[in-house]
Amino acid sequence: MNLDYKIRYTAKNTYENKTHGALWQFLIIPENSESQQLIFEDFSNSLNIPVENSINGYDFRTYRIRPRQSIEEIVFTADFQVIKKVENIFERVSHEFSESEYSDLKSLQFRAKNDMFLRFTDLTTLHQKVDFEFHESISLFENLQNLNSWIKNEFTFKTNVTDIDTDLNHILEIKQGVCQDFTHLFIAIAKQFGIPSRYVSGYLHQGNGYFGDSQMHAWVECSIPGSGWIGFDPTNNLIAAENHIKVAHGKDYSDCPPLKGVVYSSGKNETEYSVQVSAQQQQQQ
Amino acid sequence: MKSTNNNPTFKSYNRDPQLYDEIFDENDNVRETYETLFELYSEHSAKDFGRLNNKAKASFFNQGITFQVYGDHEIKEKIFPFDLFPRIIDAEEWKHIEKGVLQRSKALNAFLRDVYHGKKIIKEGIVPLDLISSSENYLDQMNGFDPPGGIYNHISGTDLIKHSDGKYYVLEDNIRCPSGVSYVICNRTALKRALFGVFNHYQAYSVTNYAENLLEILETVKPKGVDVANCVVITPGIYNSAYYEHSYLAKAMGVELVEGQDLFVENDFVYMKTINGPEKVDVIYRRIDDQFLDPLEFKPDSTLGVPGLMAAYKKGNVCLVNAPGTGVADDKAVYTYMPEIIKYYLNEEPILNNVPTYHCSRPDELKYVLDNIQNLVIKPVDEAGGYGISIGNRLTEEEIEKVRQTVKASPRKYIAQPIMSLSVHPTYIEDSKCFEPRHVDLRTFTLLGADKNFVLKGGLTRVALKKGNLIVNSSQGGGSKDTWVLKNNH
Repeated sequence: MNLDYKIRYTAKNTYENKTHGALWQFLIIPENSESQQLIFEDFSNSLNIPVENSINGYDFRTYRIRPRQSIEEIVFTADFQVIKKVENIFERVSHEFSESEYSDLKSLQFRAKNDMFLRFTDLTTLHQKVDFEFHESISLFENLQNLNSWIKNEFTFKTNVTDIDTDLNHILEIKQGVCQDFTHLFIAIAKQFGIPSRYVSGYLHQGNGYFGDSQMHAWVECSIPGSGWIGFDPTNNLIAAENHIKVAHGKDYSDCPPLKGVVYSSGKNETEYSVQVSAQQQQQQ
Repeated sequence: MKSTNNNPTFKSYNRDPQLYDEIFDENDNVRETYETLFELYSEHSAKDFGRLNNKAKASFFNQGITFQVYGDHEIKEKIFPFDLFPRIIDAEEWKHIEKGVLQRSKALNAFLRDVYHGKKIIKEGIVPLDLISSSENYLDQMNGFDPPGGIYNHISGTDLIKHSDGKYYVLEDNIRCPSGVSYVICNRTALKRALFGVFNHYQAYSVTNYAENLLEILETVKPKGVDVANCVVITPGIYNSAYYEHSYLAKAMGVELVEGQDLFVENDFVYMKTINGPEKVDVIYRRIDDQFLDPLEFKPDSTLGVPGLMAAYKKGNVCLVNAPGTGVADDKAVYTYMPEIIKYYLNEEPILNNVPTYHCSRPDELKYVLDNIQNLVIKPVDEAGGYGISIGNRLTEEEIEKVRQTVKASPRKYIAQPIMSLSVHPTYIEDSKCFEPRHVDLRTFTLLGADKNFVLKGGLTRVALKKGNLIVNSSQGGGSKDTWVLKNNH
């Protein structure tokens, strides 16, 4: 069985004073992978400025807009259609305990290969001990599931109490935050234990009452020896699967914000954006 | 020939038997290579040298060849002091240096390719993983990317010294944006102007061919499908300490000197704004640091770079020289593994010596360092330009303790080396109006291209003008000398 998603992303940028030169880059295109297929895409803007297709530093596809005129307000609209495979993640991942999983995890080969996602970044560094422990008597997957539910149980989803620069110590203190914060926290704890972990930016199936569904969503992927990259969504205590449509990954949020801009303008500017995701079941042919 | 007695300008030249003197041997005789020069210089009086010295100084000032020193309080514009007594390297000795620096550059290029691909040298345990995972200069964006022609460090500046044992040692490799080559060329011009009658007694290689070779190297790494490559030099602008060099090289190569705002990216191609409309750019010799190259990918507030440049580069539509991310390999911690790196990739023995190094990250070596600071040079791993270096035997007890605490607090950030005694060279000292021995080093310039390489036959001999000072960097009050590489042994 497959799920057929329709996604609409809109963003409105307004500038107090007209821009004199700008370049915007959108990292919002669902990736093509084994489990998801992008079958339709359209990106337009209210000023009909030509759209360029490019990539970010990690080879994920982007849209670029480089207006030649001065701008006070511009609205961007993207539409995507994605077919998502419904798979049983438990068939792919080893959830039985095995000692070799831990010895592989510690091996130089594995650490060197995944070095990028083992290094701590500013957004994924903990300066204090957390009240979560890994147990080498159960599988890595089970440990990570425990971490997933620990975050969900200990922290409360709340918007407007944190922003993109909030550090983890503050999150640990107030025990509140949004998907980005929980994702960074998960990554930091998993990396401390030596599990390669990366930040994923994407869309979440709406209408199921999940948290974080009116904006772009964030979750974690961890590399488990023998199983590959497995997605964990600590905001909802879910395994990321058919409900999660991936756009890009990076070390942390700063590697994959949906919108980056180089804008020459004085005064205030504002970005409002919204995401709509709807799904239909599609029978396999 | 006997040395100092018959030459008035050498009357206060005191040879220190502890140091290697480039022109006098251990019996105070002039070395063969320098005999002719020394004889010719004997004809001049001290007054003549004073006059010539002023002439040379004026020539630099008139050409606007200046640099800036970043001090604690203010920024100063200075002339790079030029010394009238040239450094001479004979043909045999040069052959050794040239082979050695080329070997290092090739090994570093192979190392860079490896750490941005399979990381074999790490997986095989030859160098520690920590070397890249704790390096601030490792660029994840370069992972898995193949730069045009397979070249990362197109331009390498290798700093060498001659120790009291008379052997050359490499002090460091500079493969980000090594500077100084314009001084090599200006020094030659200034020397010829002041003392042509001396220069023409020797058969020395020309140094003015550097720019044409650099241009050829740039052309070997042009993107696929480009017929005639359009090359530019990008500079951070007139306030950069090496701006003179940027403008010199652009002019000498006959290419445009641009700033970030002169370029733009459209559909992943780079264009230069000209009065005749946009002109595509294929190869960029960039003299701005990685973190400022592209505000979309690195420092978002950088106005020095070009938004979208990295994507154009990664799509293979433009070549950046040197490649971004080379800084991971000229880290002082990587330096200490150079003998292993050379053997691993080239299956050769290192031609040039490395200074033995203690890693403060290793507990037993840290202990040795902390107990022996007075006999060691302590260097931060990632500072350039001679900043942050402590020379143990110049420190007071109090200062030693301070250094000890600093190193103890973050051992990974420091390495230590025995105090190397840089060789000395006669240098004209304005105060005494005489030649006195001063410490010198040598920076060579090596170019790597796709199937082509070039080592500039000459180099920048930097001299510490303060008596006894070992730090020769221009930013620390150093001067420089013209450096002659002889075509035949003299």
